[in-house]
Amino acid sequence: MKRLWSWAAIIAGSLYFLLPLIGTVEFSLRMRRGEYSLDAYRSVLADPNFRDTFGYSIVMALLTIVLGVLIVVPTAYWVRLRLPRLRPVIEFITLLPLVIPAIVVVFGYIRLYNTSSVLPLTGTAGGTNLLLLCGYATLALPYMYRAVDTGLSTLDVRSLTEAAQSLGAGWVRIIGRLILPNVLGAVMSGAFLSFAIVIGEFTMAALLNRPAFGPYMQLLGANRAYEPAALAVIAFAATWGCMGLMQLISRLLGVRKTAK
Amino acid sequence: MSFLVLDHLQKSFGTTKVVHDFNLSVDKGEFVSFLGPSGCGKTTVLRMVAGFETPSEGQIVIDGQDVTRLRPNQRQIGMVFQSYALFPNLTVAENVGFGLKVAGVPRAERGPRVAEMLDLIGLPDLGGRYPWQLSGGQQQRVALARALAPRPRVLLLDEPLSALDAKIRVSLRNQIREIQQQLGITTIFVTHDQEEALSISDRIVVMHKGIADQTGTPSDIYNSPATHFVAGFVGTLNRFEAEVVDAASGHVRVAGAGILLERPLPPGKVVLAARPESLQIAPEGIPAEITGVEFLGSVQRLRARVDGAEVVLDRFNAPGEELPRPGARVHLAAARASWLVLPE
Repeated sequence: MKRLWSWAAIIAGSLYFLLPLIGTVEFSLRMRRGEYSLDAYRSVLADPNFRDTFGYSIVMALLTIVLGVLIVVPTAYWVRLRLPRLRPVIEFITLLPLVIPAIVVVFGYIRLYNTSSVLPLTGTAGGTNLLLLCGYATLALPYMYRAVDTGLSTLDVRSLTEAAQSLGAGWVRIIGRLILPNVLGAVMSGAFLSFAIVIGEFTMAALLNRPAFGPYMQLLGANRAYEPAALAVIAFAATWGCMGLMQLISRLLGVRKTAK
Repeated sequence: MSFLVLDHLQKSFGTTKVVHDFNLSVDKGEFVSFLGPSGCGKTTVLRMVAGFETPSEGQIVIDGQDVTRLRPNQRQIGMVFQSYALFPNLTVAENVGFGLKVAGVPRAERGPRVAEMLDLIGLPDLGGRYPWQLSGGQQQRVALARALAPRPRVLLLDEPLSALDAKIRVSLRNQIREIQQQLGITTIFVTHDQEEALSISDRIVVMHKGIADQTGTPSDIYNSPATHFVAGFVGTLNRFEAEVVDAASGHVRVAGAGILLERPLPPGKVVLAARPESLQIAPEGIPAEITGVEFLGSVQRLRARVDGAEVVLDRFNAPGEELPRPGARVHLAAARASWLVLPE
């Protein structure tokens, strides 16, 4: 009986996730009347705006991951090593992006960094990109922090650090050569979530007027019928493809299996 | 001149003082054990030597250099941890070579040194394995090789055998001692296991409540404990309330039986003590009642009651020898020299 319920749950879950995807794929192939075709995909891929916005969002996603890792790994490591009593506070802070809407954050940015402020970041494309990057890193913070913190919990951080120190290692080497490689699996899961969030993010990119993929999808969805479905399928495949690539690169870089 | 000097070390965590005025001088190549129960401050002293804790007061000098304020990675100290602390993402060879790499030793020199260290610990063929592919004993030997590879000035061992099973513990402690003597490296070994400390140390520091109660050779510590704590903590000790009859000649009375110690004693009452292996059943002596007999393999342990207090006697196992049964009334005696008079 228990088995039956397990299978029922698996089938229900699969249908919940797969049916919309199958429906979207099927719909995206029906652009030509009376037969299946890839016309919608051809149309999307031929649009230079697609390439520009998708490329922009991929670059922003990768930068967000790098920024997230640079902020989160040393912070989570230091909290575990030296400030364990601050963990609840840090956890609370990292949860804030889940309860503060992105629109509040982006209006805060616009208010603080507009062209008449001390730091007029919105005055230039580079400055606005930087703001958007910070916004994305903030949005990804809850997922990245939790993933990294969980990864760190599997390590005896203190002993590893002290062993490395007694062998003459400094902080950069300890974090870069010992801690990061041992939580890379966790970092990759955080990176996956960050990537997925950034690729589809609309609010921040739209309000900061950046050429990102989220606003492009919205624009296309408002004006076309079949192309948005094709776009969603392409985005889905590209996101998974990018993640696979990241996994591959991390393995090629010599990331090895760690302790069980 | 001493190689390692711990001079008036003190350490407080908040308002709690965990190490009180700790002094120790260690000669080059000496093997010193810190022995004491949990929370006595032995690991804190070790961590101060390693640089992981900063002394509240006092000074640490290694080979004439004051290292008190130096960071751990500047002290040239090798440390082995209870939890092994091998880097899980590195192979055994990379673990052993880590300190050399940090020190900037060229790859051509690193390889032979790593091989030498793996030979030293008896694991020459396991360089390509990862820590999780090794047993606990092998991991700890790799940790030892890793600590020794950069030729540290002092080797610190923080309860390195505690996580291992009994048989491996004995063989590894002997191996640690052999390697230490072979390399002549100054070593501090922290343990709460008296047998470990007694078996491999040149000197032992018995610690209690943040104070070094007694420092001496294993024989000194075992045979001439300086305090009640040392007497009770190191080995098993039978205590007897004794009344001094003649202070000059050392004539005392225990449970009605007279004992002549032939050494001056303070007048009044003293506490006499004897190790289980020193006490014997004799025709005359302290009256006792046997309460139990335990077979411990090479040793048979008799439990007896003297004046309401329990005492223990150990005898080598002699097959065929008849032992007194529980309830038997006997007399206990010990050689004159083996009686300890505990300080007040």
